[in-house]
Amino acid sequence: MDFKEIELKAPALLAAGRGAEVEAMVAPLLSNGGGPAPLWAFLAQALRVQCRIAEAARVQEMLVDALPGHVSTRFDLAESLLALGEYERGWREYSYRYSLNHTYRIERKVQLPRWDGRPIPGKVLLIHDEQGYGDTFQFMRMVSWAKARSGAQVILEVNHETHSLATRMGGFDALTLRGELPPAFDLHCEMMSLPMVMGLKLSDLPGTIPYLSPDPARVQHWRKRLAGVGGLKVAVVWAGRPTHFNDANRSMTLASLAPLAQEGVTFLSIQKGPSEGDVAKPPPGMKIIGLSSEIRDFEDTAAILTVADLLISVDSSPVHLAGALGRPAWVMLPFLPDWRWLLNREDTPWYPSVRLFRQPAWGDWPGLVRKVAGALAELRAAGPGKRPA
Amino acid sequence: MNNTSPPQQQISMEQALAQAHAHWNAGQADQAERLCQHVLAIWPGQSDASHLMGLMAHAYGNLPVAIDHLQRACQAPRVPATYLSNLAEMCRQAGRLADAEAAGRRAIAIDHTLVAGWNNLGIILQEAGKLDESLTCLEQVVMLKPEYAEAQNNLGNTLKRLGRLDDARRHYEAALQLVPTYAEALSNLSNLLTDLGQQDLAVRYARQAIDINPRLADAYINAAAAEQSRGNDEETLRWIDKLLSFQPQHVGALVVRSVPLRRLERLEEALDTARRAATFAPDNGEALVAMGEALQALGRTADALAAYDKATKLPGLALEKALVNRGICLMEVGERDAARAAFEQVLASFPRSVAAWFNLADLVTFKAGDPAIASMAALLTPGGIEVPGDRIALHFALGKALLDTGETDGAFRHFAEGNRLKRATINYNPDDVSGWLQAISAAFPASAFDPSGFAEAGADADLPVFVVGMPRSGTTLVEQVLATHSQVQGGGELSTLSQLVGRLGPYPAILERMGPAELAGLSEQYLSRVRPQANGRRRFVDKMPSNFFYAGLIARAMPQSRIIHVRRNPADTCLSCYTKLFTREQQFTYDLTELGRFHGDYEQLMAHWRAVLPPDRFLEIDYEALVSDFEPQARRLIAFLGLEWEPACLEFHKTRRIIRTASVNQAREPIFTGSVGRARRLAPYLAPLLAALGTQELLTASAPDAEAKPRRTARKPKAASEPVA
Repeated sequence: MDFKEIELKAPALLAAGRGAEVEAMVAPLLSNGGGPAPLWAFLAQALRVQCRIAEAARVQEMLVDALPGHVSTRFDLAESLLALGEYERGWREYSYRYSLNHTYRIERKVQLPRWDGRPIPGKVLLIHDEQGYGDTFQFMRMVSWAKARSGAQVILEVNHETHSLATRMGGFDALTLRGELPPAFDLHCEMMSLPMVMGLKLSDLPGTIPYLSPDPARVQHWRKRLAGVGGLKVAVVWAGRPTHFNDANRSMTLASLAPLAQEGVTFLSIQKGPSEGDVAKPPPGMKIIGLSSEIRDFEDTAAILTVADLLISVDSSPVHLAGALGRPAWVMLPFLPDWRWLLNREDTPWYPSVRLFRQPAWGDWPGLVRKVAGALAELRAAGPGKRPA
Repeated sequence: MNNTSPPQQQISMEQALAQAHAHWNAGQADQAERLCQHVLAIWPGQSDASHLMGLMAHAYGNLPVAIDHLQRACQAPRVPATYLSNLAEMCRQAGRLADAEAAGRRAIAIDHTLVAGWNNLGIILQEAGKLDESLTCLEQVVMLKPEYAEAQNNLGNTLKRLGRLDDARRHYEAALQLVPTYAEALSNLSNLLTDLGQQDLAVRYARQAIDINPRLADAYINAAAAEQSRGNDEETLRWIDKLLSFQPQHVGALVVRSVPLRRLERLEEALDTARRAATFAPDNGEALVAMGEALQALGRTADALAAYDKATKLPGLALEKALVNRGICLMEVGERDAARAAFEQVLASFPRSVAAWFNLADLVTFKAGDPAIASMAALLTPGGIEVPGDRIALHFALGKALLDTGETDGAFRHFAEGNRLKRATINYNPDDVSGWLQAISAAFPASAFDPSGFAEAGADADLPVFVVGMPRSGTTLVEQVLATHSQVQGGGELSTLSQLVGRLGPYPAILERMGPAELAGLSEQYLSRVRPQANGRRRFVDKMPSNFFYAGLIARAMPQSRIIHVRRNPADTCLSCYTKLFTREQQFTYDLTELGRFHGDYEQLMAHWRAVLPPDRFLEIDYEALVSDFEPQARRLIAFLGLEWEPACLEFHKTRRIIRTASVNQAREPIFTGSVGRARRLAPYLAPLLAALGTQELLTASAPDAEAKPRRTARKPKAASEPVA
């Protein structure tokens, strides 16, 4: 098979998780160690799709060495290194996330210098969040660390949706909303550049847990609302934001969660977005209450997570909110997960209260759901008051 | 981005502008733009709002729109100097140097203390080639603000372009002292180190710059330049391709890329890449020069000259190069007077142009007391030329000039120094080379020429004619004579064969693996490369002298081809090599002992070829015989090629062919015997050479009267048969 043919066929195969086939296609052309860069890039993707991340990373490192200015390769390498826990270089390469062709224009072009991690007593540092809500929840913990390290006055800028939760977090000197004119500042740093400039290591995690807390009034409201629900109360999310680049792999349907249905468990749908209506037609035997329409903001979500016994969710922002609140959560991950969940482990250094379930093979949600169902049965058997983990 | 309420109507214009600036500082472009538009709706063209709109457009990479806004901002009667200075810088980035300079000058006229203004004007003038003024500006900046790393770096650049390398280095290092991760300064220091001949360090600094900023295009260009300066064409291409992988339209990269392609004889690609550069940047002089060089290499002299002429009319740093290349181009087609005028024109504007001096020295015959000699000598004194490679060239040029005037002591002092300096830049091991040449002999025993092991011959298998020998032995002259024939195309010195052999693996070890199929493959590849250059003629001459390494391989792979070995008196040959600075790596000519030894190794290999090659495919001709008894020798050559004699072959010097070797200016002469026996006259300077050659060689040479003045055959063709000595 020649390069042109591979170029034509590989993308669809990779999207379908058929990495081994693509690997077999490109390997003969690369056997002597030479070959054009795009073929090596296909090999790296083929290895990633098979979740052979360490091997993929070595190919990507070679590509970055050959084409240092090709930043999308650097970003791909960052994802592999971070998944492997190779944080030092990983965070550095992650800094190219705004140099990609499709991200250059969304980079915030702050006209003052970026903080480089050194002490800057007497200066004002603006830390601003970026895109996903999950990212914000995950990296907010670093704000107080940045304040301690820099010795600066810290202004934290967040989006409207996470604003009130941030208010109670502390660790900063002023809070400002995205889009509004922040107070005068001297230096800035994107929230997800903090790991790079501060040299975040796995051993620094998780820091103080919980670092977010629910609004007591909302908790009271939801306790009352859910007072009549007996047995194990399990909040559930089966789909992420559909516009996420990897949504096809990370999202599922409520129907596919049918094996979770069991006596003594009531599911609370906190699903938001286009698939929240699925709750009207639950799988047979599943007891589920749709709460989506009653959730006004993340404050409601936080309060529900506080009242519920457990969250079972695909890889989406409520997981991070639960983790930051120190609440139990089980995450259902695709075969090739996002870098932040690392590899080959059921726990995560980011959140002690979170347990990971990984697809045993590409697209194998049923296999994963069976495992979750088993764990859920064990939890129910252990009786009330037992903390899931 | 979330919406905030639009600016309220009662907000004052000053408040709106202040808020717009604050939003932009915080990277909130939408809000800043909304406020600017609010101001511009009330006051169209308002200077501050237009300026800020321009800065934002610039940050998002929209240079034309940015300049548009800034030009409007600068129409205000009381425009702040900063706005003009920003306009100047953006015009520079857009390559509009004249507009840039005008705005920059207005800026500092308004505010004489504006540091950024002096800085911006300084780099504009630098790019425009107005280096003295640039120096004044940037020295001013460094004086006003010594901790300004960018200014230190910029000053370094101007000093470098002025040839003040040590001073330049000091300022780059000052910049790096201030900001150790200053990628641009690392990259510039890399470029400087290439000029200083420290290529390893140059590549290391360029790499460091790329590690810090993988998108810094100049660092790739400078890494490529370092590799190019040590003749590493493939590595040069690799660096450039790294850059083009993310900036496919980078004009500088395309310009640089055309050079190794040209050297690898991928001429159409070289032209194509230079033409693309010129398409993306029609006003870029460097792109036009690169195009001219590719056209020149392709033999399209008129087009090349047109490209150079166009380049000379553009502002910028390409002017000197364009003028010099014009001269070389004219020299190559034999327009000696025009070429001389061209070099003199360069020197009128660029009296320190080593390239112009070097080529002029090759072109003209100097008389004692020629002021040019003093001018060149002055460039070697303190305050003169610092670039080591340029100093070497000056030594050779001065040696040549003094030899013309008969001041042989002085001449050889310069040759000795030039060769010594050049030799120091080269890794050359004469033992390895001797061993290699012996291995070649051993790989081609007489039994290897059994025709059954030969490649199959194709239809035009008799197209190639290889002219081989030592450099400076008369191969150019022989090619020139052959090429006057209507059925012969001269191809010049081609590295095609050595490239193709090099790809197969280490030579001669590869011979063990080469059967008839591999030999036929080599033949077909060679033929497919030269066939398009043959213009349909029956013979094609490849006069790469060093193809003598491959004579046996040629005979086996292309048994229908012909090999002509040009012989010349060893001492004369070596003397001529020693007094030449070759443009391509010719590693054995920069030390008299090594040169003599190489000549001995070469003679041994040629003796072997003489013994084993089929005599009907291998002809030897003596340079001395050719120049003293022209017609019979010329007839011998044409007959060997299997062609009918044509009288035009006696007028070889009239052929308007392009000559592009170290012999460019001799082959234009009618038969020139002045260099025959020259070594005998200069023997006192050549002791180590003569010792290495064995004096026997010199004494038995068929040299004419050593004291005879250089004589030329008359211009009439028939006169060539007259005895000249």
